[in-house]
Amino acid sequence: MGFGHRTEGGYAVVELRGDVDLARSPEARALILQFLEQRSDLLVDLSEVAYIDSSGVASLVEGYQVAKKEGLKFGLIGVSEAALSVLRLARLDQVFPIHSDLDARIADDG
Amino acid sequence: MSAKRPDLRLIREDPDQVAVEQLALLAELIQEFASSLNLDETLQTAIERFMAYMDAEAASLFLLENENRELVCYKCVGPVDISGLRMDVSEGIVGKCVREQACQMVRDVRRSHDFSGTIDHSSGFSTRSLLCAPLSVRGECVGVLELVNKRTGDGLFNPRDEALASVLASAAALAIHNARMAASLVEHERLKRELELAGDIQRHLLPPSCDSDFPVNGVNFPAYEVSGDFYDFFPLDNGRIYFNLADVSGKGINSALLMAQTSSLLRCLARDFSDPGELLTRVNRELCETASHGMFVTIVSGFIEPESGRVCFSNAGHQPPLQRGVDGSFSEIPAGAPPLGVVPETVFPVSEISLAGGSLYLFTDGVTESLTAEHLPLDVSGLITLIERMSELESCERLQNIVAEIRRPGARQRDDITMMLIESQDTGLGEKLFERRFSADPECLHGLRTELKSAALQAGCSAEVAGEIVLAVNEACMNIMQHAYQGDCAGEILLEMHNNDGELVCVLKDWAAPVDPSQIRPRPLDELRPGGLGTRFIDELMDDWVFDTTPQGCGNCLTLRKRIA
Repeated sequence: MGFGHRTEGGYAVVELRGDVDLARSPEARALILQFLEQRSDLLVDLSEVAYIDSSGVASLVEGYQVAKKEGLKFGLIGVSEAALSVLRLARLDQVFPIHSDLDARIADDG
Repeated sequence: MSAKRPDLRLIREDPDQVAVEQLALLAELIQEFASSLNLDETLQTAIERFMAYMDAEAASLFLLENENRELVCYKCVGPVDISGLRMDVSEGIVGKCVREQACQMVRDVRRSHDFSGTIDHSSGFSTRSLLCAPLSVRGECVGVLELVNKRTGDGLFNPRDEALASVLASAAALAIHNARMAASLVEHERLKRELELAGDIQRHLLPPSCDSDFPVNGVNFPAYEVSGDFYDFFPLDNGRIYFNLADVSGKGINSALLMAQTSSLLRCLARDFSDPGELLTRVNRELCETASHGMFVTIVSGFIEPESGRVCFSNAGHQPPLQRGVDGSFSEIPAGAPPLGVVPETVFPVSEISLAGGSLYLFTDGVTESLTAEHLPLDVSGLITLIERMSELESCERLQNIVAEIRRPGARQRDDITMMLIESQDTGLGEKLFERRFSADPECLHGLRTELKSAALQAGCSAEVAGEIVLAVNEACMNIMQHAYQGDCAGEILLEMHNNDGELVCVLKDWAAPVDPSQIRPRPLDELRPGGLGTRFIDELMDDWVFDTTPQGCGNCLTLRKRIA
């Protein structure tokens, strides 16, 4: 299952799907960094993620850090239960801005 | 040959002609000595012809015997047969010839103080004049050539006779010496072949070579053809395995014979005993009755229960066996009794240990006393270092590599080298539920997670705990792929999951270079950076995890534990 992306509501939205593990996290990382390099505000949609490991989480951490440095918006939306349990394990649920979906994020942006 | 020879006596008067004849005779005799296949016959004909040429009445050849204290008449010609006659080297003119290693010419024996007359008395022969020449080779006298009573002329020997006898005696001495050398060479070869045969038979007394699937392995390298060391092991009907490793005092054939006797006794009796102490008591009594020359046997002998990993043994004066715990610690288990074959009433205490995933090394002093490249004894400490260095190898290969290191090329082996390794087949991890061997390729992880999850569910885990185990094992695999193998997908990983009484135990092994354990400590969570989360996950999700710094049979070994019931 390949990863997707779309542009909506002023955000580039990277859609991660299936297993984001060591075999596929390099692809996720490249996609995230590509949009940040284009200076897009970025949301990562995790609603279809069945499994994420520390390498997948590391791609999100890197994206968060680059966005912050570049003054771009970054966040996670539609975090699946599987992904959320791993983020909680790493205490990253307290670090990343997390919204149920794009609309919730836009509403929060004000 | 004799047909070509001129009649020497007819032309004797011309001195030049005489010299030519003498040279011809000597050349012929010397050549016969050199090419002779039957020295006995050659010497007999030589003194016959020499006697005839010299116009002597009798001639004999004496050889030294009994550490050169006695002269024995080996060959003789003349009216009286004195062959076999023995006389002391202190006696007579023949004896004087040996003592002084010089020719003795006695023109009239009645005027000589040295003449003993022993032979004349016993034989009725009348000796008038004598010529003796020593048989000498490289300054060593092996006997005497003797000529008695010159028949022609004035009936006396002359200096020319003396010179001629001296040359012939030297040639005969050389021939005798060579024949003796050849005989001793043949004897040496025969003994060597017999020793090789004995060594061959002895090797067949040892169990077959290494097999890592069997809990016991042994090796023996004799310093010479035969060994005074031995070891043995064989399964018994009750599921136990009998083993021993021993060192017989001394080296060579006598040690090898005692070795064969002891080994056979143990092989027979081990089936009738369950207590290793009682077994040694019985064998000791037998050996005390028959062993001689102060020979004795040091031995470690006992039984293994492969199921439980329990080993019970008695140590009779042997080097303490070395036990390596599963945690990598070493301990020595000293002897509790003197060697076999010394005191018939000896009682042999029994030691009992549990291998518990560890191993037991038995060895002879040939191992610990072998010299290192620095010419220092290896010692137990050196052996421990070797064992630790080889710890990633399978038992059989490890044993062979350790011994290969001890017998390093160019080093002269001074003693028999014998070593045995008893290793627990029981992992101490409980029932195995799952085993997968896969390449260190991230693409393999997806399938592995699916299989592991269903195995964990089947073991009775909740979906949540199964997910946690999968996540932790997946993180461990990633660490191996990225840090141990450093991205080399060709590497192999072995994953086993066991149920140890309600605790799931996952063991991950790799064959990469050992990883520095300090690199796998979990990082603090408040430190926000992309990497280093994996170990944190494992730490959070599992009850316990251990990274073995000196694993056996692999490069790195990580054990994860989580209680599920």
